[in-house]
Amino acid sequence: MKQYSDLEFLKLSRGQKLLYRLQRFLISIPVGIGRFFMKLIRALGKLFAGIGRDLGEIGATFAQGDWKTKTSFFIMGFGNLARGQILRGILFLVFEAVFIAYMVMSGGYWLSMLPSLGITGPSEEYSEVLDAYVTKYHDNSFQILLYGVLTIFFVIAFIYTWRVNVRQNRMAEKILASGKKLKSGRDDLRSVVDDQFHKTLLALPLTGILVFTVLPIFFMILVAFTNYDGTHNGYTNSLFTWVGLDNFNTMLSWDVTGGAGTQSYAATFGEVLLWTLIWAFFATFTNYFLGMFVAMAINKKGIRFKKGWRTILVLTIAIPQFISLLYVSKMFAKNGIVNGFLMSMGWIQQALPFWEDPTWARVTVILINIWIGIPYLMLITTGILMNIPADLYESARIDGANAWQQYRKITLPYMLFVTGPYLLTSFTGNMNNFNVIFLLTGGAPVNPAASSAAGAVGYTDLLITWLFKITMGAESQYYLASVIGILVFVVVALISLVVYNVLPSIKNEEDFR
Amino acid sequence: MSEATAKRHMGLRASRTVSNTLIHVLLIVISIIWLIPFVCIVLQSFRVENTGPVGYIIPHQWGTGNYTRLFQTDFPRWYTNTFIAALATAALQTVIVLCMSYTLSRFRFKMRQPLMRFMLILGMFPGMLSMIILYRVLKDLGLTQANAVPGLILVYVASSGMGYYVSKGFFDTIPMSLDEAARVDGATRAKILYKIILPLSKPIVIYTILTAFMGPWGDYVFARYIAFGTSAGKNVAVGLYDWLNKDQISNCYTMFCAGGVLVALPVTILFLFLQKYYVEGVTGGAVKG
Amino acid sequence: MASVKLTDVKKVYDNNVTAVHDFNLEIQDKEFIVFVGPSGCGKSTTLRMIAGLEDISGGTLEIDGQVVNDLQPKDRDIAMVFQNYALYPHMTVYDNIAFSLRLKKVPEDEVYERVTNAAQILGITEYLTRKPRALSGGQRQRVAIGRAMVRNAKVFLMDEPLSNLDAKLRNQMRAEIIQLRHKLETTFIYVTHDQTEAMTLGDRIVIMRDGVIEQVGTPQEVFDTPVNLFVAGFIGSPQMNFLKASLQRSGDAYSVSLLGVTLPLNPDQNAVLARKNAGDQQVILGIRPEHTAVLFAPDENAIECTIDVNEMMGSELHLHLTDKNGDNIIVRLPTMDLTQEQRRSLSYGSRLFISFPAKAMHLFDPGTEKSLIDG
Repeated sequence: MKQYSDLEFLKLSRGQKLLYRLQRFLISIPVGIGRFFMKLIRALGKLFAGIGRDLGEIGATFAQGDWKTKTSFFIMGFGNLARGQILRGILFLVFEAVFIAYMVMSGGYWLSMLPSLGITGPSEEYSEVLDAYVTKYHDNSFQILLYGVLTIFFVIAFIYTWRVNVRQNRMAEKILASGKKLKSGRDDLRSVVDDQFHKTLLALPLTGILVFTVLPIFFMILVAFTNYDGTHNGYTNSLFTWVGLDNFNTMLSWDVTGGAGTQSYAATFGEVLLWTLIWAFFATFTNYFLGMFVAMAINKKGIRFKKGWRTILVLTIAIPQFISLLYVSKMFAKNGIVNGFLMSMGWIQQALPFWEDPTWARVTVILINIWIGIPYLMLITTGILMNIPADLYESARIDGANAWQQYRKITLPYMLFVTGPYLLTSFTGNMNNFNVIFLLTGGAPVNPAASSAAGAVGYTDLLITWLFKITMGAESQYYLASVIGILVFVVVALISLVVYNVLPSIKNEEDFR
Repeated sequence: MSEATAKRHMGLRASRTVSNTLIHVLLIVISIIWLIPFVCIVLQSFRVENTGPVGYIIPHQWGTGNYTRLFQTDFPRWYTNTFIAALATAALQTVIVLCMSYTLSRFRFKMRQPLMRFMLILGMFPGMLSMIILYRVLKDLGLTQANAVPGLILVYVASSGMGYYVSKGFFDTIPMSLDEAARVDGATRAKILYKIILPLSKPIVIYTILTAFMGPWGDYVFARYIAFGTSAGKNVAVGLYDWLNKDQISNCYTMFCAGGVLVALPVTILFLFLQKYYVEGVTGGAVKG
Repeated sequence: MASVKLTDVKKVYDNNVTAVHDFNLEIQDKEFIVFVGPSGCGKSTTLRMIAGLEDISGGTLEIDGQVVNDLQPKDRDIAMVFQNYALYPHMTVYDNIAFSLRLKKVPEDEVYERVTNAAQILGITEYLTRKPRALSGGQRQRVAIGRAMVRNAKVFLMDEPLSNLDAKLRNQMRAEIIQLRHKLETTFIYVTHDQTEAMTLGDRIVIMRDGVIEQVGTPQEVFDTPVNLFVAGFIGSPQMNFLKASLQRSGDAYSVSLLGVTLPLNPDQNAVLARKNAGDQQVILGIRPEHTAVLFAPDENAIECTIDVNEMMGSELHLHLTDKNGDNIIVRLPTMDLTQEQRRSLSYGSRLFISFPAKAMHLFDPGTEKSLIDG
């Protein structure tokens, strides 16, 4: 495609300009994604180069090091102890002891069972004491997978610590050779609240994230490759095991399979995904523009009780959504207040099918979401609107711009620039907006064509509520939930990737500071 | 002033008056729409002639029966559960979030950028997914069902470090030179945090506490998993939600309204007092990221 | 009270940009030294390395003979005044000044003594109970100085302390800093981009560009004998004029010719050039606006110019001229001795003749930009 220089571009007509911009945008998507993967490959290359360099350095450390250093390769912390850094030495030593003890006592077992996820399931065995057949439990697939993952994490942590231990020996030798003194235990303790304070501060939050987010996500990604569900819970009824890509095949196949449904999983998934995207689009932008409109209305010169209007709206944020949404959902029910009111006024004869008809339900959900979202957006946009320099508007008025032109040429570009990142997170947040959908409709009306095995998915179900239904359903197909979770991640990541590579305001993070 | 320009001036003023009047009317309509559901909840919580959903707003018979009935159910237990969980979460989560955001705002260490990017990617996974495993782990630890509250607190607090964006955005606005001046003056990093930064961050601290409190107060998903199958371990959201299922709604609908009023009341009052800080947090932090 | 010694001090950022190249300097005890240069020349980075706010990538930094490379700022016994004052907004002026003393656990009596003493010297006693936001720019600056003063630190660092003040206040504070310096009797390191500040404050000036020291010397030295084109252009206001010229040698005598005139050099200059064995070559002639002689009539040694702009500064005129080559020359002309007729003749477009006294001429090599005579 032809690239225009700046001056050539300026000569184009309006339509041509628009077309050119659109083309540039469309081209930038694959280019952006390509650039990302190039970056990724380069980062991986760097990583491997780093590992290679590390291995080289480790070798050099061993070859050039004195006997204290050499011993440290096997007894961690020995070098520290021998050189008088008692505190560090003890910490290293204890860590190594704990690690070896753990690996011998249970870690080895978990790792060895990981490939099979358990060999012996529960069995009926004769008990002489009770003179009856009782169920005996043996391997526990769930625990094997969980502790297997944990052990892998632990091994990685050990390797890293060992590496630090080796490096410290090298550094210590260097420092001593140059005639300086090593840091004492007291120095180390002092640095915990000073130059190493960030490590102290991050220790607790990062441990929490590691154990309660990283580990579960890692686990659930693995679950997508097993047959873990309600009937294979890995312990009390049946073991579960690796099934490779079977679950992805199921979810993405066009075969009509199982359940009472007449629709393939792939079709159902496609429908839900499409609705999720439509929902996220409308939920984000209706709120954004209407919220901005309300904010501008309240901010307008000559409007009274500014604080009062704002307070009324802000208060609705305070009320927990499960109350307001559940209540509103009942208001729009067949026998609810809305229908009752409309009928008593004689405007309608029959109750409107707010939650019974797929299209009605989808539109109603989006409309009620506006009710939920406007106060929040009003707050956000108010702050930014006030930051727009007033002289921009004054200058525009002198140039002859009317109210709409001022909005179109000044307010909107400014807002879009500043809120670009927010819009992205808001979009992906809405894709996963469990509360609004689940509390309003619970996904209803149910899609009769979809397989009932997949948790009775409905027309307003998002991927995230579908996932929830699957796990809470009778069959608890955790593996399907995991597959959906992974697919949600892929979609969100792709969208973010595209937007991140196109949005100007994200490219220069520092512009915002 | 010529007559023509005088006329134009009148026109300008008149059109402004008209548009302002229109906006006032609009704002009144908006306020009514936004408040109606809450007015309805309050009204219906006092309705005693019928305990199910009805098609009218004003009760035919008034009474506090729904509130007294509440106390014969497990509601007080749920309320206590929620309150304890919310309070503990507010305290612990605030500490964790502030640690995280202060560090990411103030220190330039090698792993800073990778860490932030990693957490961004982590956030793209639906958090709900991890509940499947967390439920089973907590169950093994005996922190589910009747003992749900400590388990819930753990779940709420543990990953809260990921929500550092807003407060980091605020810390970023405090000039670095204050830290530097304090370092030259002889303060350690820890002293800088609690002598310089925290006293300057009152709005964001309050905002963090407030949002940390409100999360558990209205949480449904995590509580649903963890309280699975028991009544004693429920929080208000799960408890009240279950009252609206097909079997119970005709009996419990007005009780749901009464419970809703009791749940909404404390946070609303809290919000009224702390509104300023909330607004500051949302407007300052939400966009900066 | 201490000496500061920098040996091959270097700053390399993570992205491999070198902000400061091997920096060598010995600062005497009680000396007032000024780092000056355009923005991005590495002067602030150097100061911040001395303060301990930036890591030192290479070389050694000694304060009072002790290597302090790896010490935290608080352990270096330095005091610092920041460009934007960096006052703690939530503390009163008193608490701001007392902050460092309290961290050192100085008894409250002594804290009171030292803070009020400093406040008195700086004339901010009446603001002690106020918060910084209630103070004007000049008052804030005084508080910032007070905060640094009470510490009795070995070295006093100032990072562009006056650049946030308006012109009038800046002159006043400059005078006060000079007084303060005599009262405190400590080592000062002062960073500025303003050559006037550097000239008026410093015992010695360090002129930097792109992370490299261009020249170190007393204000008089750097003004009279700039070692290269950059220093010559940076010091002095308005800037030194630079004109293309050629150097000619006949025996041990040298002369410079440009624009049709030939100007002989004086014996000192001849001696230097002869020692360097300079031959005929192209040079850049530097002449300060205040050293240019203005003639109102043609002369064989005078260069003919046209007047573009005539700026009246009160005691003197700044004349912007164009020579025959189209190069610009600025001339400072005292108004005192001008006749009415002469003043009238200095209007836009009229002709003027200027000549350069030999001792005021600076000669630079166009390739290396180094001075041929000075340094």
